[in-house]
Amino acid sequence: MDRRELIKMIALATGTAFVGGEFFLSGCKNPEAGTSMEFTQDDIAFLDEVGETILPKTNTPGAKDAKIGEFMRTMVNDCYTASDQKAFHTGIAKLNDECNKMHSTSFMKATPEQRKSLLVKLDSEAKEYAGKRPAFDAEQIKREKEEHEKGNSGFQREKWTAHYFSMMKQLTISGYFTSEEGRKGALRYTPVPGKIDADLPYKKGDRAFAGLD
Amino acid sequence: MADNTFDAIVVGSGISGGWAAKELCEKGLTVLLLERGGPYEHIKDYKTATKEIWELPHRGSTTDEQKKKYPVIHRGWAAQEQVMDAWANEEDCPYTEVKPFTWWRSYRFGGRSILWGRQSYRWSPMDFGANERDGIAIPWPVNYEEIAPWYDHVEKFAGISGSKQGLAHLPDGQFLPAFELNIVEKDVAARIKEKYKGDRHLFIGRVANITIPHNERPGCQYRSRCWEGCPFGGYFSTQSSTYPAAMKTGKLTVRPYSIAHRVLYDKDKKKATGVEVMDTENNQTYTFKSKIVFLCASSLNSAWILMNSATDVWPDGLGSSSGELGHNVMDHHYNIGAEGEIEGYEDKYYFGKRPTGFYIPRFANIGSDKRDFLRGYGYQGSASRSGWNREIAELNIGKDFKDQLCEPGEWRIGATGFGETLPNHENRIYLDKTKKDKWGLPVLAMDAELKENEIKMRKDIVADLIAMFEAAGVKNVRPWETYYSIGQGIHEMGTARMGSDPKTSVLNKWNQVWDAPNVFVTDGAFMTSSACQNPSLTYMAFTARAADYAVKNL
Repeated sequence: MDRRELIKMIALATGTAFVGGEFFLSGCKNPEAGTSMEFTQDDIAFLDEVGETILPKTNTPGAKDAKIGEFMRTMVNDCYTASDQKAFHTGIAKLNDECNKMHSTSFMKATPEQRKSLLVKLDSEAKEYAGKRPAFDAEQIKREKEEHEKGNSGFQREKWTAHYFSMMKQLTISGYFTSEEGRKGALRYTPVPGKIDADLPYKKGDRAFAGLD
Repeated sequence: MADNTFDAIVVGSGISGGWAAKELCEKGLTVLLLERGGPYEHIKDYKTATKEIWELPHRGSTTDEQKKKYPVIHRGWAAQEQVMDAWANEEDCPYTEVKPFTWWRSYRFGGRSILWGRQSYRWSPMDFGANERDGIAIPWPVNYEEIAPWYDHVEKFAGISGSKQGLAHLPDGQFLPAFELNIVEKDVAARIKEKYKGDRHLFIGRVANITIPHNERPGCQYRSRCWEGCPFGGYFSTQSSTYPAAMKTGKLTVRPYSIAHRVLYDKDKKKATGVEVMDTENNQTYTFKSKIVFLCASSLNSAWILMNSATDVWPDGLGSSSGELGHNVMDHHYNIGAEGEIEGYEDKYYFGKRPTGFYIPRFANIGSDKRDFLRGYGYQGSASRSGWNREIAELNIGKDFKDQLCEPGEWRIGATGFGETLPNHENRIYLDKTKKDKWGLPVLAMDAELKENEIKMRKDIVADLIAMFEAAGVKNVRPWETYYSIGQGIHEMGTARMGSDPKTSVLNKWNQVWDAPNVFVTDGAFMTSSACQNPSLTYMAFTARAADYAVKNL
């Protein structure tokens, strides 16, 4: 699958555009500072548990086995814009607050069931939020056009910022299924196929081939 | 013979330059092959080709810093962690966009021959006759019969896999065994054939990937990671094919880090005497002499070299006496298509990664098919089962969600159109003398856009694909379109077109510059029209033909 398709499919899976994967057509502006942009060991442990709730260990490895927290740190630090980084970091605290509201306990102290019910709620909230993007983009494009027509050629439209939970879920899925643990443990791993079979029987439950993704 | 004198100089080591070097060396000439980028050795320098995705720090994504440094490459799908070293440094090598223009450049030995999509289709008599028939631009000075033996010649060496279809408008070639359509694609092909009564066709892409060992190359291992460089020599590139053949002759000298920026012109003899080179490592200029010069620096850069040459005779450069140098920029417009799902194959899957999809050749404006625009388009696409990056309704979190993602999902099919662009004098590139690159050389300004014919065509590209997919039983067919500007098809061409009249063309029918017959331009710059097929095979054929002619007339 080519890059374009990959980005589009991840976007489908998470109901929002792939953060960090959008076309970069103009310079980005640094957002206001404020939130710490550093990941602590506690943050990594927290993100490991968020990932594990999304893709838990079963008879195959879970997201924590794939060191999903560290993966998120690398991706957010290196591949996200400053404004997306800020949204992600703020999101860690928000997710914890939401857990306190829903279960009267912190996310780290919550049971697996409590964590799951929280993330199911956040997932639907994130999808609903993502549904507003087309209207937002259309409005911004219109505004930009108007400003440019007025002669304000330096005007840059505001960029959509994804929901923090969409970011975490995207990184969990892409990180897990591109990890050694995920590819070897949860998919069928064939690095050098050496041949092709264009008509292979399939029965429900057979795993996908890693690399055909 | 002095160190700086050769029988021939070839500028550029991509698909065309590699072919020129091979052919000229094999005919006994000493050849200097100039490459503006650095070395890139077969197998040894394919750094990610044998790595697993989890060994890449960002698993294939590019960093925010790379997005800022390579804004042009990030306009499309070319920005991937594995290949970022392949792309030209956009800060060092700027260009001016009078109108949006996406220029994908690889300044490295082998050029875009490492990165290319490998789709290899002949042009037909219809394509070579199109300009004359339609009264567009100027007629091609070459017909299909003249070029057919050269298609044979390059196909046999490069190794093109494909199936014979017997189509007059997409001639068969010298094919290695074809890759195979998967079970869904086969059924879709059969339904399209039935529905359109044999006027429309879907078959496996003809591609420069070898399905059996060929010329000491082991061949395709079905990894589909071609553009990282293939350790198995699975596809045609300068590295895997033309460079080793040229080296074998003992006649080839390669000079990397060398920007050939000027052809040296003797106005008394009306011939070139060599080229001037900027060494990108020490910023010194060097002169090399030769009897003949082959410009294969890529369509736009070959025109750029000509614009910088013989300006004491012609202010706009060598080949500008026609007024056509830099004009008639064409591309294939794409990033537009449709996709959908196909039901009833839940018990079917496939193994191995094919390095090509299917091809639907042109049907518009052929036979009784008449449109409100000229020319036509083909499609490339594939059917596959979706992977872990898909949506699963109702399941969002947890064990069941994960289990589902570990299985292949529904069958999908999608394709993108590749549309012909008409040559238009208004679409042009020229020197922007107000801006310089890292080495103080003037840069190109791009002033080209899609015109009415292409814009009309884009509507039909989508409508026809939707109709064909629906006729083939594809469900939930959705059109899609992503960002496109000229150049994004990576098939830029036409900036030094060939013709029969020096007043309206830059080159004659042998790819010789009318004003300097020992200068040959054999990359995409020579193209008089664009057709809608991927053009590299045609560049190979014309390069080999020009080399043969050049040596016979030395």
